[in-house]
Amino acid sequence: MMNLINSLVFFASISSMVVMYFLIGENRSDIEFHNGNAYLTEEKRKLTVMPPFTFEDYISGDWAKTFDLFVNDNFPSRVSFMEWSVELRKLRGIEVENQEKIVYIKPKNKNLPKFDDQGNPIKFLDDYDESYSGGLLIINGRVYPRSGGSTKMAANFARMVSEYAAQLEGEVRVLTAVPPLSSAFIPAEEYRHYNSQNQQSLEAIRKNLTNGAIFCDVFTELNNHAGEQLYFGTDHHWKPIGAYYAYVAFCKGAGFTPVPLEKMEKRTKTNFLGTMYQLTQDPSVKKNPDVMDYYIPKVKTDALRYSEFGFKGVAAKVFEHGCSGGTTYSTFLGGDRPLMKISTDVKNGRKALVIKNSMGNAFSVYLISHYEELWIVDLRYSKQNMIEIIRTNNINDLIFAPGMNHVMNPNTVNMMRRLGTQSGVYIPPKPSPIVDSTAVIPDTVP
Amino acid sequence: MVFSSLTFIYVFLPLSLLFHYLSRNTLYRNIVLTVFSLIFYAWGEPMWIILLLISSFYDYFNGILVERFHGTWKAKLFLVLSVVGNLGILLAYKYGGFIWENIDWMLKNFNDWFNMSLVTPFEKPTNTLPIGISFYTFQTISYVVDVYRGDTKAQRNPLNFLMFVSLFHQLVAGPIVRYVTIADQIENRRVDWNLISSGVGRFCFGLFKKVVVANIASELVDKYMIYTYHGDGNFDLSSYEAWFGIVMFSVQIYFDFSGYSDMAIGLGRMFGFKYDENFKHPYAAQSVADFYRRWHISLGTFLRDYVYFPLGGGRKNRYRNIIIVWILTGFWHGASWNFVLWGLYFGCFMVLEKLLENVLKKTPRIIRHAYTLILIVFSRALFYFDSLYLSNTHFENSDFKHESDWSPLFGFMGNLFNSPNAVNPAFYGDLMMHLYFFILVILLCIPWDEIFTEENRFRLKVERIFYFAQPAVNFALLAIATTLLVNATHNPFIYFRF
Repeated sequence: MMNLINSLVFFASISSMVVMYFLIGENRSDIEFHNGNAYLTEEKRKLTVMPPFTFEDYISGDWAKTFDLFVNDNFPSRVSFMEWSVELRKLRGIEVENQEKIVYIKPKNKNLPKFDDQGNPIKFLDDYDESYSGGLLIINGRVYPRSGGSTKMAANFARMVSEYAAQLEGEVRVLTAVPPLSSAFIPAEEYRHYNSQNQQSLEAIRKNLTNGAIFCDVFTELNNHAGEQLYFGTDHHWKPIGAYYAYVAFCKGAGFTPVPLEKMEKRTKTNFLGTMYQLTQDPSVKKNPDVMDYYIPKVKTDALRYSEFGFKGVAAKVFEHGCSGGTTYSTFLGGDRPLMKISTDVKNGRKALVIKNSMGNAFSVYLISHYEELWIVDLRYSKQNMIEIIRTNNINDLIFAPGMNHVMNPNTVNMMRRLGTQSGVYIPPKPSPIVDSTAVIPDTVP
Repeated sequence: MVFSSLTFIYVFLPLSLLFHYLSRNTLYRNIVLTVFSLIFYAWGEPMWIILLLISSFYDYFNGILVERFHGTWKAKLFLVLSVVGNLGILLAYKYGGFIWENIDWMLKNFNDWFNMSLVTPFEKPTNTLPIGISFYTFQTISYVVDVYRGDTKAQRNPLNFLMFVSLFHQLVAGPIVRYVTIADQIENRRVDWNLISSGVGRFCFGLFKKVVVANIASELVDKYMIYTYHGDGNFDLSSYEAWFGIVMFSVQIYFDFSGYSDMAIGLGRMFGFKYDENFKHPYAAQSVADFYRRWHISLGTFLRDYVYFPLGGGRKNRYRNIIIVWILTGFWHGASWNFVLWGLYFGCFMVLEKLLENVLKKTPRIIRHAYTLILIVFSRALFYFDSLYLSNTHFENSDFKHESDWSPLFGFMGNLFNSPNAVNPAFYGDLMMHLYFFILVILLCIPWDEIFTEENRFRLKVERIFYFAQPAVNFALLAIATTLLVNATHNPFIYFRF
């Protein structure tokens, strides 16, 4: 009798998930819709949908891989299971309070099919963004990358910027405002070497910039405020206050007077558990959600966002105040738009173009106080030709403000180089092996 | 597809069970099993299914021809054709790259010495390893040999033979199921609730071992086996941390492989097949020989019956035979000199144990056990690294090109007791954070069924309680495994690469 019950309970359990999937459908609390596409709210990525069956995809194995992801993404009560798994993993042993930990992360989206919306194969540069093969260090519920950049790679970035400076000499001023990694400010003596590594890496940019390109010393400005929380502990981005100090450094380099914080409107968001928590799933990180104070310059703006191709703009906002929870950082520019144009009521005739990844979002919003027109290009997604934008719109300043990860990655540096030559039409990348960004950021001896 | 995936557990398995049990007709059930097995095998890498089909039908005909010409030289001819064909497939698809590299290396040296310009006569194979090739080629070899020996009749129905080769329960990572074991079950298997229920229990337990124990161990392996080199001879791990990584790899590989075997045996039972055991608490072994009577039993018995005994077994050239079998065992595991060395390592200890049999018998149990475990753990280091030298991608991306992977393990770089970089402060924290996990590992390694024999009253009492609790226990194991799988970032199967 018990054998019968055992067998039936098992069969019912493994069958129930398919039944529940069809019952629940899209009535899920963990997804949100943008432009008709479903996104996983917590993980800030597209929900994998049932792949259409094609013989080519089946033979290449891509169909099966996508189907596996589809099952995983659409597993009934997925968010609850993920929360339970965090609790279950605690049962491995005894949690030591304030224990320093190192977590090794494998890129979660390693097997994601790499296609753009038009079905072209594409390599997502986010693969490098979120892969920390050197591991992540957790101290007092805050997460830091275990690397400090590389002078060799920084020089490579500076050469790329200098090429633009040479190409646009006499037309446009070229500036760089690259922030250090949060590892520069780990509040523990044994990790001080990351501070100097970050500094050396950024100094290598200064030393290798030529053709009149201007180096804005973000590191020194941030280092002067090292006692403050400049970066999030649960997310891989910086806090708006860190971005503000970078903005101050930028103003020093660009010859502007920075707007004091007191002259901006301050707002606060709480309970932010960002990407670093998603990656580590560490209970001590969960106990320390971030609070985000952010500052809004008193400037009137009209913003347009563009898809990765063409110039058909859609209305957008500089600040999306509704973002909360895991998407709190998307408050700035509403997240990573391929291309954005912000027109302001600062009628000084100055125009700038910013090249950035997500780190640049919190930084760019301060620039609206100094420019009548601001173009913001996400180096990973924009396929528009940057030189064309610069010349057509009479841009005055070209500002490179990517995060350190993208400076240290030869692929993303090439991506920035390609922004000036690409045709605005997507060209599939050559099938050359992609270098892992983190592999070229050796954890060198201090 | 792997057993420990949500697609398998929640889509493939219920569908295959549902279709299988829609009818009592054996032919129908065999068709369903074959179709599902081919879908399973083709999941993700469908091109290799052609190789599987060629291999199956090649040995289907060889089996029939060997039987037809039984007792004549023709039977021997078809037997040789079968063995050569299967080993040829293995050589071409598994060892092709290895053979090319060695020929190329030899020719380069030859050219240097004699100022010649010979080139390797064939292109370096670039194919990936077809999944399960080491398992199904051995199964079909054993089938033809058994037919030749008259131990079993040739299978006349091609569908049944294809089902035997492709059965998804054991196709990709074993155990190596011999045809004689399930010949009768292919056509006349009887399924009852007792068998299905025991299969359910075994599957859930195997899944738990894989997802909970092996996967957590693998996280520690990744953390403590991937050294970062900092230049000037410094690693970020001390020797004892690196050895801890090797111990965790020993845990991972056992629970990974035995978990898979448990799931295979359990699935077999759910569909009416009874496979032989593949593991019997190997970490409780008292000697190396004892260990390999408990570890990957199906491979051990295969090589014993089809290589060791035909070579003369213990009667003629015993030590030579042992060494040959063990070099083959190593080579079966992978196309690398590391695996050959690994096989030779165990071959030598097997010979030593035979020579010192009396001394070993008089040695206290605890010392025998410790000696065995130390040898096994050490062998895992050979097993982990693909080559004797640089196999670690971290090294290949650094300036570190001329030292062995092994340096951190032996403290060659002055890191015997601590790391000069001290960038891994988490070791003691990790020990505490995994304390209950280590206890669970030890409990699962103890051979409780050997300590409490079948007549033991305590065991009977526990079995009685378990009989009533099994639906809840199995449900809990499945729920725990599912919970971790939904959030899994790391779920490798080590034996897939064989």
